[in-house]
Amino acid sequence: MKTGYMGSILALAIALAVPHAAEAGQVEITGSGNAPQTEAPDLLGGCPAEVVAFHRCAMETAETFEPPRTPEGRPDMGGFWRSRLTQAYSVEGVDGSEPLVGDLVMPWTISPAVVIDPADGNIPYQPWAAPIGRLGRNYDDYIDPRTACGPGGVPRLALQDSSQILQPWGDDQILWLHEDHHINRIVSMDDDGPALAENIKLWQGDSRGHWEGNTLVIDVTNLNGYTWMDDAGNFYSDTAHLVERLTLVDADTIHYEVTVEDPNVFTQPWTVVWALTRIPTPGFELLEEACWEGERDLPRILEEGYKHYFGDPWKTR
Amino acid sequence: MRRGFTRSIIAAAVLSATPIPAAAQLSAVPRTPDGKPNLQGIWQALSPAAWDIQDHPGQLGVPPGQGVVDGNDIPYQPWALAQKQENLANRMTADPERKGYMLGVPRIMYTALPFQIAQTADYVAMVFAYAHGVRTVYTDGTPHIRGPLQWWLGDSRGQWEGDTLVVDVVHFTDQTWFDRVGNFHSDALHLVERYTLMGPDHINYEVTVEDPNVFTRPWTMSLPLYRRKEANVRLLEYEPGWLTQEQQATQGGEN
Repeated sequence: MKTGYMGSILALAIALAVPHAAEAGQVEITGSGNAPQTEAPDLLGGCPAEVVAFHRCAMETAETFEPPRTPEGRPDMGGFWRSRLTQAYSVEGVDGSEPLVGDLVMPWTISPAVVIDPADGNIPYQPWAAPIGRLGRNYDDYIDPRTACGPGGVPRLALQDSSQILQPWGDDQILWLHEDHHINRIVSMDDDGPALAENIKLWQGDSRGHWEGNTLVIDVTNLNGYTWMDDAGNFYSDTAHLVERLTLVDADTIHYEVTVEDPNVFTQPWTVVWALTRIPTPGFELLEEACWEGERDLPRILEEGYKHYFGDPWKTR
Repeated sequence: MRRGFTRSIIAAAVLSATPIPAAAQLSAVPRTPDGKPNLQGIWQALSPAAWDIQDHPGQLGVPPGQGVVDGNDIPYQPWALAQKQENLANRMTADPERKGYMLGVPRIMYTALPFQIAQTADYVAMVFAYAHGVRTVYTDGTPHIRGPLQWWLGDSRGQWEGDTLVVDVVHFTDQTWFDRVGNFHSDALHLVERYTLMGPDHINYEVTVEDPNVFTRPWTMSLPLYRRKEANVRLLEYEPGWLTQEQQATQGGEN
């Protein structure tokens, strides 16, 4: 059951991805970022790639780095970005004892945790919640919402696939467009307008940003808790509050940090960090990646006994 | 901050008058610092075109409406007119909107949901409440990417002709419709859209439809887009595909 449906999904994805990439051309369009990043670089933005060391070094470097500026004088993060994480992952890391590492169809890559706080690299789940996330009930019994064409959610979107940051004229909004199922986020800046009503719940939540020095800080509320944080089924509920922090370390590297707070699921706020690196390919563009349109796998996956994820495990605990 | 924004843009435009091309017609509309009409904001059509792009009588649930097609005539080839009638008969199951599929262009422009425009020097990005649709109109002079490609929202390349944003859109699937009564096109669809800011709160949207596989000649639609003015307006995700799954699962007792 555990590795059941991913194999056929992956095979289909490969079959679809090849002509997709081959058809693009003319102006050297090389979007479609499903190719897993398998090579871990030694350095990111001049810092060690290992997450704790990266975090410390990047924060230090950013203090003196003078970023390129938009016409409005803000740090210019415009462009195409991707993370260096491998395709199948857990934010808590994957060690050699994990059977999925040896999976024939979709082997997981051994990788360290990206959780920097708490220091042990583990999500501080409350006792009831740990057996649901962490390759637990969610992973065993439910269809990964991303497989079911659900919006990827925060912060998973930033971990998976290529994205584009736009800083439009006027300085009052930032767009973060993701190739993955063409999900997009609109971050309204310095928005002192009324908060959304509590019963309006969204997949990507309501994002409001501001600048703290050279750091873009995004406050995310009104989340519906229908998304996962990674392939391992790690989750939060609809009471989660996220704070993302994006800081340029050099012109081509963003230190991305997100603190997750959800008093109904975790014992304390916790933080993950990784690097977003600029996609260097000239002429790179995001391509349209439809998912729900023409989706044909779900009936078969449901037949195998997996269920749709509408937050049931945390809703009905 | 929000309220001060338009004023400062106008001030910036006045101060930086030199980069504005001499050929541009300088109408009194808000402008971005590079002198282009400022289309940014949340917009929505208020048009019976969401039901039927042609003149239509009322029926229960569908108010009567005046069409948006020039001359009210869609020049279908004979086989295509028959196909339209078949679509109409099967619309309760065949309409892509019923399946929660991406609506396509131009339908997503005049469906009864808002969308947001953001502008940079190189892009005009449009983000839609409907199924997190996104169109990036490249205004950086790049040509269409090479096909064949079948995209739900096509490949959009734009340029400013005076104060009008002219967008050329190709690479479509044949799976989308124009409205809820089965008006349709093939994957040879080619659109030329014209966005003209008529004042701070109105865009005139005009689109010329060309599809030699379905129509006998190009034809044109036009309608206004209105700025959403509510003080608390935000673009909220409406996810028909996912909501369909949730409803089916709940009703089927699957979960």
